[in-house]
Amino acid sequence: MSQEFFEFFCPVKIAAGYKALEHIPFELEVRGASRPLLLSDAGVVGAGLVDTVTGAMSSGGASAGPLFDQVPPDSSMASVRAAVALYRERDCDSIIAIGGGSVMDTAKAVNILATEGGEDLQRFAGANNLTRPLKPFIAIPTTAGTGSEVTAVSIIKDEDSGTKMPFMSQFLLPDVAVIDPRTTLKLPALITAATALDALTHASEAFTCLAKNPLSDAYASAAITRIARSLIPVLDEPADADGRLELALAAAMAGVAFNNSMVGLVHALGHSVGAIAGVHHGMCMGIFLPHVLRYNLDARREEIGEMLLYLAGPETYASTPHSGRATAAIACIEALRDQAYQRCGLPRTLAETGKVQREDLPRIAAMSLDDGSMIFNPAEVGYDDALAVLEQAWA
Amino acid sequence: MHRSAELRPAGASVRPGPGIPYPLQRAYVRLMMWLVGRLLQASSAVDPVIMRELAQLPPGFAFAMRVRAGGPGFAMREQDGRMRLMPLEQAGRLQLSFDFKHLTHAFLVLGFVEGTAVSFARDRMSVDGNLGAGMKIVRCLNRMEAVVLPKFIARRALKAYPPIGLGEKLAAAIRIYARMLLQLVGGK
Repeated sequence: MSQEFFEFFCPVKIAAGYKALEHIPFELEVRGASRPLLLSDAGVVGAGLVDTVTGAMSSGGASAGPLFDQVPPDSSMASVRAAVALYRERDCDSIIAIGGGSVMDTAKAVNILATEGGEDLQRFAGANNLTRPLKPFIAIPTTAGTGSEVTAVSIIKDEDSGTKMPFMSQFLLPDVAVIDPRTTLKLPALITAATALDALTHASEAFTCLAKNPLSDAYASAAITRIARSLIPVLDEPADADGRLELALAAAMAGVAFNNSMVGLVHALGHSVGAIAGVHHGMCMGIFLPHVLRYNLDARREEIGEMLLYLAGPETYASTPHSGRATAAIACIEALRDQAYQRCGLPRTLAETGKVQREDLPRIAAMSLDDGSMIFNPAEVGYDDALAVLEQAWA
Repeated sequence: MHRSAELRPAGASVRPGPGIPYPLQRAYVRLMMWLVGRLLQASSAVDPVIMRELAQLPPGFAFAMRVRAGGPGFAMREQDGRMRLMPLEQAGRLQLSFDFKHLTHAFLVLGFVEGTAVSFARDRMSVDGNLGAGMKIVRCLNRMEAVVLPKFIARRALKAYPPIGLGEKLAAAIRIYARMLLQLVGGK
């Protein structure tokens, strides 16, 4: 037999679909919890989504508990400390996060201190520095992209040192991810498109990078199918709850996939562009994905070719010669991105973001080489290679 | 210019791990850990590519590569711009560690059956600590392997063999091996 080996782990219960939010009281009860701290941000509160959640909870006989709604766009140590203080002051026994990636990251960090006690979050930074289960934690994503509701990672910015601290542990995984179409119905078109391309990138990189495995492939391919099928119809009909649910499920499935098989060059470049130019992560993903797949063609032609089946369906796949499937798959992704541009102005190039300066590209290339995602990219990437991909993505 | 880092590398039908008794694997891994540590120490003093990478590490940066549960390994610390070996048990606080989960996994990597990246992707090792610095160390190891190993062996260890000419490779290898011998003899 070969020497291949993989690990796959996802103990998150996924409660998805019609009236999913109404299941929260039951999920708290079976975990012995009754006083959850609600974590969110001002935007989510303003969109009325926290009210939607608390309404669903009270209809099921559960009290919502105190709300911390000051999570910033970049999860910060200060907001973690403030939320933990509220958790302790109100004698909470569980956490419900309602929001996007930043809220989820904050909730995971709050759960560390809520369980372990003390104020020193830094001692748990890094990989596998938690050794026991944390407090009951329910995640309710309000975007369909990050997959944070099923990932074991949290990134918190330390304002004192100016660095971002990563936390990685299986104990950070939520107990339950509640996926209800009501939480993404009001998402603006541009954010819908950007987050969907973030999820598409999670799935595509999980499917093509070095740590791919049969189980993550199953989740990744199912995610790609749903995004390809539902993104444009949802942009055309934002109130399409079934389509919204498809995208949210796809984001969760892509999250499960990449939480187990990691990501590669698209994310390495995207993290650097985000850090240097402040471009929205999902927009970066949409810009870089086709260029990186093209860069990885020699190393992963078969896998990229197989993606055509999930992107375009069996008829197109069957009618496309084997040798042309990989390039056809990349063309499908570019077409999806271009259709999103026509509908909501999703940037197709770095220049179109209006935030990146061309003279920043060498610095972005250099920074991306130190990104941990780079090791999983199937093709070797040097400085010149990274810069070449950035130049292709420029305009 | 790049080639696939295959999930099933050439030679996968050769199964050195399971077929070789653990004492022999342990002896080989111990020898290779010893050699890799000394070659990296020498490289950090004479190879400009590696010196450039290491110059970006935090002062006093320390890392280890080891087999878990007290298996073979080595530890190094940055000192005066170079990496210096130190006893594993005296390494103190590390900023980065590469821990193989089992002896055979280290044997596969150090026996050039599979590359470091593939080993990591297959969850055969855990990498804890400063991942950005970890990428620099991986690039140093890649550069060192490309230079000091014959090309046909280095190609098995790397995702892609870098574009270095024979003359440059030989000159760099001679400098590194000479420095290692000097360090062994003179203790410098």
